[in-house]
Amino acid sequence: MTTDQHSPEGGIKHRHRHEGPQRHIVVFIFSIVLTLIAFAAVAAGGVNATFAVIILLVMAVLQVILQMGFWMHLKDKGHLLPIIFMLGGFFIAGTCIVMSLYWVWWD
Amino acid sequence: MAQAAHTLNPSKPLGHGHSVKRHTGLMDWITTVDHKKIAILYLIAGGLFFGIGGFEAILIRIQLIKPMNSFLDAQTFNELITMHGTTMIFLGVMPVIFALMNAVIPLQIGARDVAFPFLNALGFWTFLFGGILLNLSWVMGGAPDAGWTAYTPLSTSTYSTTHGVDFYTIGLQIAGLGTLIGGINFLATIITMRAPGMSFMRMPMFAWTTFITSAIILFAFPAITVGLVLLTFDRIIGANFFEVGAGGNPILWQHIFWIFGHPEVYILILPAFGIISEVIPTFARKRLFGYSSMVFATILIAFLGFMVWAHHMFTTGLGPVANALFSVSTMLIAVPTGIKIFNWLLTMWGGQVRFTTPNLFAVGFIPTFTMGGVTGVMLASAPADFQFHDTYFVVAHFHYVIVGGLVLGLFAGLHYWWPKMFGRMLSEKLGKWTFWTFILGFHLTFFVQHFLGLMGMQRRVFTYLPNQHFDVLNLVSTIGAFLMGVGMIIFLTNIFLTSRKPADAAADPWEDGRTLEWSIPSPPPEYNFKQTPLVRGIDAFWKEKTAGHTEMTPAEPVGSIHMPSATMLPFLMSVGIFIAGLGFMFSRDEFKSDFVGFMFNNYLVTAIGLLITFGSMLMRSLFDDQGWHIEPEELEGEQI
Repeated sequence: MTTDQHSPEGGIKHRHRHEGPQRHIVVFIFSIVLTLIAFAAVAAGGVNATFAVIILLVMAVLQVILQMGFWMHLKDKGHLLPIIFMLGGFFIAGTCIVMSLYWVWWD
Repeated sequence: MAQAAHTLNPSKPLGHGHSVKRHTGLMDWITTVDHKKIAILYLIAGGLFFGIGGFEAILIRIQLIKPMNSFLDAQTFNELITMHGTTMIFLGVMPVIFALMNAVIPLQIGARDVAFPFLNALGFWTFLFGGILLNLSWVMGGAPDAGWTAYTPLSTSTYSTTHGVDFYTIGLQIAGLGTLIGGINFLATIITMRAPGMSFMRMPMFAWTTFITSAIILFAFPAITVGLVLLTFDRIIGANFFEVGAGGNPILWQHIFWIFGHPEVYILILPAFGIISEVIPTFARKRLFGYSSMVFATILIAFLGFMVWAHHMFTTGLGPVANALFSVSTMLIAVPTGIKIFNWLLTMWGGQVRFTTPNLFAVGFIPTFTMGGVTGVMLASAPADFQFHDTYFVVAHFHYVIVGGLVLGLFAGLHYWWPKMFGRMLSEKLGKWTFWTFILGFHLTFFVQHFLGLMGMQRRVFTYLPNQHFDVLNLVSTIGAFLMGVGMIIFLTNIFLTSRKPADAAADPWEDGRTLEWSIPSPPPEYNFKQTPLVRGIDAFWKEKTAGHTEMTPAEPVGSIHMPSATMLPFLMSVGIFIAGLGFMFSRDEFKSDFVGFMFNNYLVTAIGLLITFGSMLMRSLFDDQGWHIEPEELEGEQI
């Protein structure tokens, strides 16, 4: 039933260029380091709570970018539509979060 | 993706084309995954619910025909207005929209089916069983009575003690699943399955609006899904999301509902815009004026549609800053909508306009919808909205955009594509009678409601006192409603009489067809296109006609065509969810019979339902379905 080309256009010209494993290994190490920093920020105990939360959020955002870009291939060609739709989803989910926090609970 | 993936691969065994099991009769309809048959199923089911919703409307109007009428009591009236709104929007017009999308979109983009035929069937059956569950409420202890918006706290178990609102939450949840599945399916179809040469900016306008509508469905329906889950939990297992006494907040429901609810109205109207953008150029014999601005306007409407939800809540008390911002964002939507209106007018300008039935509906759509748009801008002004809010002015406004906009659009689309769907032309004479009775009845019903609202008549009241200047206008409104009913009956008569004639419609029965669906027989063969067409410009078929060709240039040689297998599983999955929903709803009830009580109170009924659903999913996962092929020898000799 499905064609197995990996791009929205289904065309052959967008097929992935073959890459070696080096870049993925680097990204994998980066992901681990980000996780370690997040753990350390809490485990060290000396970091004040607000600052720890900020560190966690920043590490989370970086992690998401790495995972989406490299492991979900969003950095590759032919992924414009997935990126648009994901940004749309983030935008609407964000609107809902802001609405519930600022209008409903903290009002 | 029944595209040419397997056609030219000599290593693939092509021999199992004849082993496919063909079902007949009812089984054929229950197991079908063909988008054209699913379109007909959507049309029948949607038409049925539309009839129920219309009957409810007639009852409402009979009750309001004179002051202090006692035709209905207040409770029944509340149930009727709730079910009228809910049925019409979720179970009436949305399935008819999906019917047209299913019937037309794969043909318009030159595809042999949708991207996921199995999911397409699943979407239909979940919608149908959700709709049946919701309507079962009439015979199982009372329909929902908290309005189609089901505002908390009125809809919480504190104030709504029957199972009515449970039918609303569970029924809509199941039906919403079908809509979400359908939306995702059309996104995948339009992104991946356009014929060679059909870039995004060569897509027909109806395909564009379907694409954008599906995107809105993808983003808006999760909000209502979450909202319904919260309300269900509040009502059935005693959560406190909306209970003030336990720290919940009823305003949260309003926000969640309208974050979904406002995009929902664009989900309804954008497909109508698409239909009008197909019908008007065809019968003006001109290409659509300002195609790219139409695309831009559609995207802009979808984008703005997500940031205007609080204009339904001006009187909730959000404060002047929020009200001002949402006023402005709402008024902004008039700009892209205006672009569309002017583009349609300029398409007709200088064209050779033929007033066939579809075109009558399309031309009738333009001023009627514009009137609804104008009252929309009036309502967007927050200070004025404090006067209009919850009066018949609002009722008039949204009926102008939904009936005067969407339903006229659907009538245009149904008359236009009927020969493509069924191979028979609807009678033009009866069609014109449908148009004139319906549009006259419509304006008679709803135009006067503007003034009823301005004079202070509240919406959702089950009766009113005499001598407040409401009497005559309400009588006029009821007469109009009956006239709309007459229009519907003429339409049904037209369908009935047409169905008795031979199916002899030409491939291009309107003779000026511009898009790909008119290049194949009416109704199309199972595989739609014998050879995938090559698209060489916008309005692909028209372009070939102007080049002197009578058919499309093929983009591939004739080959074996891969088809999806018919399957019972989508139907079974939906039956399972339906049983699970009913079981969950009655899990806290007391029953006369011990056994029945045991089954419900221990969630065993729910478990059985879920077992059927997940069992079917397991079957789907474990047993590979390779589909089947139609061989070139079988294609020969057919009129294509």
